Amino acid sequence: MSEPLMVGAVAYTPNVVTIWEGMRDYFAGTSSEMDFVLFSNYGRQVDALIDGTIDVAWNTNLAWVRTVAQTDGACRALAMRDTDTVFQTVFVARAGSNITGLDGLRDRRLALGSQDSAQAAILPVYFLDHAGPGADSVELVRLNSDVGKHGDTGRSELDALRAVLDERADAAAIGVNTWESIGREELMPGAFEAFWESPAYSHCNFTALPDVPAERTQPWLDLLFAMDWDNPEHRPILEMEGLRRWVPPQLDGYASLFEAVREQRIPARW
Amino acid sequence: MVNHGMILDLVEHVGAVARHGMVSVPLGEGDPDELRAAAAAWCARTGNDLVEVQGNVATVRRGRSPNPLGELDPDLLPGTRLWMYTNFDCNLACDYCCARSSPQAARRALGLDRVRQLATEAVDAGVSELILTGGEPFLLPDIDELVAACTAVLPTTLLTNGMLFRGRRLDALRRMDRSRLALQISLDSATSQLHDEHRGRGSWARAVAGIRTAHDEGFRVRVAATLPYEQSAELAPFHAFLDSLGIAPRDQVIRALAHRGAADAGIELTVESLIPEVTITADGVYWHPVSADDDDQLVTRDIFPLQEAITEVRRRFTEVRARATAAAQWFPCA
Ligand code: SF4
Repeated sequence: MSEPLMVGAVAYTPNVVTIWEGMRDYFAGTSSEMDFVLFSNYGRQVDALIDGTIDVAWNTNLAWVRTVAQTDGACRALAMRDTDTVFQTVFVARAGSNITGLDGLRDRRLALGSQDSAQAAILPVYFLDHAGPGADSVELVRLNSDVGKHGDTGRSELDALRAVLDERADAAAIGVNTWESIGREELMPGAFEAFWESPAYSHCNFTALPDVPAERTQPWLDLLFAMDWDNPEHRPILEMEGLRRWVPPQLDGYASLFEAVREQRIPARW
Repeated sequence: MVNHGMILDLVEHVGAVARHGMVSVPLGEGDPDELRAAAAAWCARTGNDLVEVQGNVATVRRGRSPNPLGELDPDLLPGTRLWMYTNFDCNLACDYCCARSSPQAARRALGLDRVRQLATEAVDAGVSELILTGGEPFLLPDIDELVAACTAVLPTTLLTNGMLFRGRRLDALRRMDRSRLALQISLDSATSQLHDEHRGRGSWARAVAGIRTAHDEGFRVRVAATLPYEQSAELAPFHAFLDSLGIAPRDQVIRALAHRGAADAGIELTVESLIPEVTITADGVYWHPVSADDDDQLVTRDIFPLQEAITEVRRRFTEVRARATAAAQWFPCA
């Protein structure tokens, strides 16, 4: 039997251990076993992917963009969560703020999350520039908590929401997952309202380099795609990882982030 | 108004622990009921378990804990069997009686009407077996009617000390439906000494006679011994004796002596340690037949509707198990 496929992931919460142990168990005893390595940040993970320490990286969208940049496009995306294909950024303000769209942010304070969070910092600026008044006409309040984890912890987005509650900002840009996790407008009536939702874009994917051949990744992918929400043994892992099924990558969904990274001159590595 | 930051705190703190990990989250200032309701709504929506709210601090377990009811053997699901205490008075006064029964005990009978209604509602509630116990049920003049109300709808077991099968009581026994009724007769030992020590002189001989009578009358007879834990190891002579009486091995039941009712020793049985068996007495719904005279295991005074009583027992069982799991998680030793 060949060596287990080595998958890298960033440990942004203790739950990551449980998730990947569950994934490893799922593949155990198959023709395509896997093991995992956890990293403290995406920078180290992409380094490890490039130097061959890991075969596959569970990358955020920014980590994908940076891997593409560092490999001159030689890397390939293998799979994503269904939820990664429809990710969005949501702009929220205090309920009753009368901000009705991105233009309403002109000369107001917008709280952004970690500088390396695509959903809460990089793409919001891009959306202001392309669909709003331009980032230059908005006062950006940056809340750089948990830098290195590309916004995975969600903490900087919660901090941005707190800034709105405390009136240190007039609005916040957060990922749709954080918006869901606070119960959208429903659990805190009178607290927040969403005034703009971005077009859908792609978020995480499994990334591999060409020296890991398809003969190794394809059987693993076949098993990955076979994970079934209705199977009680698979369900807890899928729930924890926030998906109902694994799907082939939708690379078009990264176009806005590639453009944003170029426009904002975000370096290929930090 | 609820402090809006509390939801943000819940997201942050719960997100920082592993699945099934627990975390305490201060909910801030505000009306405790509103805070609790908001925390409960957030947990319900996000698939987490609100373990408890004490003061203004919520304890949340990340992810949903498995349903303890779903983990039970289906036969043990509360409400699969329904126990009914027909009465509490007894011709004996065994020193370990969990129901504190004796000739002096007040009757506290359920009565035919309630037994009939319980039997009917039991069918709709998904009960698959009825069990009648006391006290000594054969002290009731209408015991055959009570039994008939039960056997008419479900297989039934009747617990008795087997000592009263004479005269009109024997006639009552003979009127019972052999195809639907099993008798469970108490006998503690292969010889009279141990049995009589706890249940009264001469009681062993009469119980054995009762077993023979019931058996000869064509009833399925189960024999149940109540033994202190330390005596439950030397059972070979007892089983040999029951074999000689024609009692099938599967009908030879050994129960550990419980420290309940009149017993001054025995294993401790609490709501936390017992898987509930829904038990109805004239006084209400109890957690388990072994505690049917103990207020600490009273579930509700409302016997009807039976379905609600069963639902309440299951709900409490789920709650007790969740609390036990939570407590176990709070006390890692290393
Ligand atoms: S143990 Fe049974 S026979 Fe003995 S007093 Fe209690 S109810 Fe009566």
